[in-house]
Amino acid sequence: MEITWNAAAAGDRTAALREAIPFESVSGATLQRIAALARPARYAGGERIYNQGDEADDIYVVVSGRVEHVFGPEISAEQAIKHMGRGGVFGWAGLLLGQTRRFASATALEPTEILRIGTEDLVKTLEIEPLEGSAVMERFATMIQREFTVPALLAKVRRLSGAPLTEEMSSLSLTLYRLSLWLRSPRPYLMLVGFALFLGAWYLAVEVWKVPRFREMPGVTGVVKEWLSPSPTYGLSIYTGEYYQHIAMSVWRVTQAFFLATVLGVPFGLFLGWSRKFKEYVFPIFELIRPIPILAWVPLSIVMFIATESAVIYLAFLASFFATALNTMLGVESIDESYVRAASCLGANRWQVFRHVVVPGALPFIFTGLQISVGVSWFSLVAAEMVSGQYGLGYVIWTSFVMVRYPTIVIGMVTLGVVGYVTSAMVRVAGDYLMEWRVRELALAER
Amino acid sequence: MDIRDPGPSAATRGRIVIDDVVKIYDPEGAAVMAVDHCTLDIEAGEICMIVGPSGCGKTTLLNAVAGFHEITSGRILMDGETLCSTEVPRAAPGPDRIVVFQNGALFPWKTNLENVIFGPVMQGRLGRNEAIDKGRAMMADAGLIGIEHNYPGEVSSGVRRRVEIVRALMNDPKVLLLDEPYRALDSLTKSVMHEALLEIYYKNRVTIFFITHDLEEAIFLGHRVAIMTTRPCKPKKVLAVNIPHPRDYGVLTSKRFRELIEETNEAVHEEALKAFQAGEKEG
Repeated sequence: MEITWNAAAAGDRTAALREAIPFESVSGATLQRIAALARPARYAGGERIYNQGDEADDIYVVVSGRVEHVFGPEISAEQAIKHMGRGGVFGWAGLLLGQTRRFASATALEPTEILRIGTEDLVKTLEIEPLEGSAVMERFATMIQREFTVPALLAKVRRLSGAPLTEEMSSLSLTLYRLSLWLRSPRPYLMLVGFALFLGAWYLAVEVWKVPRFREMPGVTGVVKEWLSPSPTYGLSIYTGEYYQHIAMSVWRVTQAFFLATVLGVPFGLFLGWSRKFKEYVFPIFELIRPIPILAWVPLSIVMFIATESAVIYLAFLASFFATALNTMLGVESIDESYVRAASCLGANRWQVFRHVVVPGALPFIFTGLQISVGVSWFSLVAAEMVSGQYGLGYVIWTSFVMVRYPTIVIGMVTLGVVGYVTSAMVRVAGDYLMEWRVRELALAER
Repeated sequence: MDIRDPGPSAATRGRIVIDDVVKIYDPEGAAVMAVDHCTLDIEAGEICMIVGPSGCGKTTLLNAVAGFHEITSGRILMDGETLCSTEVPRAAPGPDRIVVFQNGALFPWKTNLENVIFGPVMQGRLGRNEAIDKGRAMMADAGLIGIEHNYPGEVSSGVRRRVEIVRALMNDPKVLLLDEPYRALDSLTKSVMHEALLEIYYKNRVTIFFITHDLEEAIFLGHRVAIMTTRPCKPKKVLAVNIPHPRDYGVLTSKRFRELIEETNEAVHEEALKAFQAGEKEG
């Protein structure tokens, strides 16, 4: 039974659409377009909304009340019966590839208000913005699989004209999709507010209130001015070549240390986890050396390597190596025994098990390790550069302190933060690229 | 009519003889007896259901056949050849006896198709392209179309189970060892999976060694149902299910089916109670 609504309810019905999983992240304009298509309807408690086998013409979104949705037995849904309230979406069969009939029935359990949207109209509307539209269709597919527990086989949504095929979505475009979701969420804006508050507090503490402990601190305006100045007072800003030489030097050192630590640490960790005997020989020594702080290694490393350069890289390498090896070992140990058993059942030999089960199974942990590793590599590099360096950001910070160039200290610190973050993000992107299966699982879980 | 022989293409290989097998965990220490002089003769091409309460030791038996565990004494034969015995306590795992695990063991880092072709490619029996052709054909045969390039994490658990069975069948095994594969599924999906399994079985005729604690599942699927005692595990009662194959879900409501349930229910319940009391004592 269809009814017409007054204008006051229009806002509420748009709000209900926004609560529907597929429309949660669409732009305001698209949501308005969808809302314009929606026709309100009201059902009494116990009234049948549609039957299995009916023509799949409309999609339904619950505004209020409760609806029971029951699949026929030939749909191998893990849970055949689903109840839904406000924001619940059903009647999506028409969006699926090759489906024109309802394969479930829906009944109102109590007096229920519903929005009906014509399937063809919705598809046309989504095609106006094909990229956003295909994100909506993707969310439909995800919702159908996850909320309605329908097998992925059936939950294949129709393709919008002009949109990329979802099967062809590479891990890169999935990463981009997650990025676009992030930009549409409130998180980046909260982040900006956080930054503003932090800088504001710094400004107030140093330059306005002149809090005693901060008296000698460089102020935020001084630092920014120095940093962006074409002729900086203390000789270092984004316009001086020297600034980039320092960055390049530090990056080059971390790259070498990180590369060595990965090339040696990953195989070492894999064998630690894979061979019990090897672990029994090596692990006790490993665990004894690992907790020694990197600064304690400075004298010995200078003794070992006559050249300062190698000593600095060695220190950065050492911390990195331990983080990588330890996480890799834990990764191997985390692998479910049944994967190894399944592989040996299927006729894989020991080496094949290693190559096809142990390495990919440990990969998530390995990449966690590499992210930590790149961080500690920066940490120990800067410590080493402060003690014995020629160039580099750690050297900049220390010499600026000795020569009382306080704003330059902060420039060095902030630069370290940014460069460190970028290297860590690069490791993450490499991980996403190598572990497409994991990226897809995470994208399905909408994280 | 021979109820053990559902069709003319009945298998001639895959007979498993479990002969007086004993398994004691930690014989020098706590000495927990998991399997107690268990003897069971599973015929070639038979679906043999092993029913017992959780933790009764039936998985230990399966692991011994698969080659994941050693046995303490006795022997296990396949088609007359010794898999393991008192002298060689552990069988070598191999593609003639493939396990389908309780929680599923499809490799999450490989697509469904890559999982399916894993066995033949690893063994070097088929080239990659041949294996892909065969894999696609077998998946299509099992109604698995359009998910080849999805990862297991992207499909429902019912589909995952079917992919895993196809992965096993790709190796032309003599025996499938199923360790409560449908335990985590709800009853509706389970019923679909049962019919799918029987359909695959009618086409492939492998011996099926199926562990479960669900009596209805056991009687619906099995040629014979072995009800096991709880810790230590051995057959308490072996029941021949004289309902002809091929079966479909109509069987569940038949009089014969209900009679068989009644006939065995008490034995199963008794063991479940023992297992529960034993658990109470330990707890």
